[in-house]
Amino acid sequence: MSGDGDLRRALQQIQAPDEIDAQRRGWSLARAAFEAREPLSWERRHRGTLLAAAAAVVLLAAAISPPGRALVGSVRDAVTDENVTTQPALTSLPASGRLLVNSKTGPWIVQADGSKRRLGAWWEGAWSPNAEFVVVTRQREVAALDPEGNTRWSIGRSGIVRGARWSSEVNPRDTRIAYLNGRALRVVGGNGQEDRELRRRVGISAPAWRPGEFELAFSTVDGRIEVVDAETGRTVWRTVPGEIPKQLVWSEDGERLLALGDESLRVLAANGRKLFSLRLAVGPSGVVFVRDSHRFVMVRYSPATGRSDLELLQAEVDPGEARFLYSAPGEFGSLAISPNGNWLLVGWVNADQWLFLRLTAARVQAVSNISQQFGVSTEGKPIAKAFPTSVSWCCPASP
Amino acid sequence: MVGPGRQERSWIRGAQAGSVSDLEALFREHWPRAHRAAYLVVQDGAAAEDIAQEAFLAAMRNLDRFDRRRPFGPWLHRIVVNRAIDWARARALRRETSAVEGTDEFDTGDLGTFSSGVAAGLASLSPEHRAVIVLRYLLDYTPGEIADLLDLPRGTVNSRLRRGLDRLEAILDRERA
Repeated sequence: MSGDGDLRRALQQIQAPDEIDAQRRGWSLARAAFEAREPLSWERRHRGTLLAAAAAVVLLAAAISPPGRALVGSVRDAVTDENVTTQPALTSLPASGRLLVNSKTGPWIVQADGSKRRLGAWWEGAWSPNAEFVVVTRQREVAALDPEGNTRWSIGRSGIVRGARWSSEVNPRDTRIAYLNGRALRVVGGNGQEDRELRRRVGISAPAWRPGEFELAFSTVDGRIEVVDAETGRTVWRTVPGEIPKQLVWSEDGERLLALGDESLRVLAANGRKLFSLRLAVGPSGVVFVRDSHRFVMVRYSPATGRSDLELLQAEVDPGEARFLYSAPGEFGSLAISPNGNWLLVGWVNADQWLFLRLTAARVQAVSNISQQFGVSTEGKPIAKAFPTSVSWCCPASP
Repeated sequence: MVGPGRQERSWIRGAQAGSVSDLEALFREHWPRAHRAAYLVVQDGAAAEDIAQEAFLAAMRNLDRFDRRRPFGPWLHRIVVNRAIDWARARALRRETSAVEGTDEFDTGDLGTFSSGVAAGLASLSPEHRAVIVLRYLLDYTPGEIADLLDLPRGTVNSRLRRGLDRLEAILDRERA
């Protein structure tokens, strides 16, 4: 090396791209966050010591708990092992509503009393707005079923069909279904009529209907997020290119949109403006909005520790300090919020468990042997790796 | 680590009291090096900007609790560099399992020969080695301070510095030849 001074000078010369604009953007964000914060009072400032001590106790409890019971709950709540109960099988849901569960064996409906019905050999299903029907797909077919599994209508297509999503009821009994046919985005009426192509080449993520509108968010092949008016085909807005998302999720009021990719989360306002983005470590991840809220729960996986964390953030310009909800070794899969908003279902893949976390108190109900419960074919044969890939919990009470 | 200067203490005090201008002074003082440090570790412009932004947002959120007697820079740099290492590791992990992404490299078009060589050399190091080089030679921390920032034994910092410098030197020698 020619000397420390040379190396220092060389490093000083290497500039990041777009440094000046990056600083301007950074300041704009920092200032917005600063102005949105609530300065601490003297009393609150001195509570830090107590909170740190409480956090240490909680973390210690997590560290010494047996696997599967490592609850790193909110500091506000006292958490002990007594807050975790484990059942060997799903005998009831902790809140009202029904689950639609997608597993390797097909979609299942689970009633509040724990009874369940497999809808048939379909690849994937999604609820209609009031859980009266389920739209299902397999190979080159999209269909609507009633909860008994009876087919109401069915459409054959030329390409592989997937990602079917049912819109909300914009007018009484007036709904649409969007789905991917190969790389094309198509829309059909909720009654199976007026099937048409909306866009020819789109990204791989399932489209997402904006609640209360016939507006559809989807990703383009270059990673833009686009919202289109499904009635006219007009583009409402479109973002700049970015990572192609694997999940698009609207808040219940349709004012926020999350675009989750393998390495990033983009948080957008209803007009397409980016509120903020987060870089994520590669690994399992997922997001779900809390009911009636712009707050959302996110799965964050750490390759360094091999653990998954659940964090609560808010979809505003200032995401707020992430509230740490829960942590466990391995992977978290599906997330679903109960219709009353009090419970969060988390699929814990490595433990083959579903965890029901009560969001308003430090309580967890664990249900074991999930793969076995959703991994049996109609002939009664067990199917390997049948841990559910997604769950939705229907339906929140109408406003 | 030396304590903060009077000017910085004044900015922090002002920002804690709600002064945007003091906050801006603090931001302007620390952003450029934080951003560049992130860039040198992750070698990705967008990621570096995100990391610097997240670090400052974390700082804004915790400003009220910040002890004014401590220097602001190390606190910020600890967040920036650790996040940058995590990001670079995650990207490396992704490359191992997927051939989708290309390689991000420093744009060395406008740099002198020596800086171009250093850039190329840095790109060939692991994120952990890049981080100690950046902390030592861009941000001017001592090996002991780097050990504190990265929660590493001092010997590990020294060996990473040595190995990183050797690697850089070898690449520079090759370029000179």
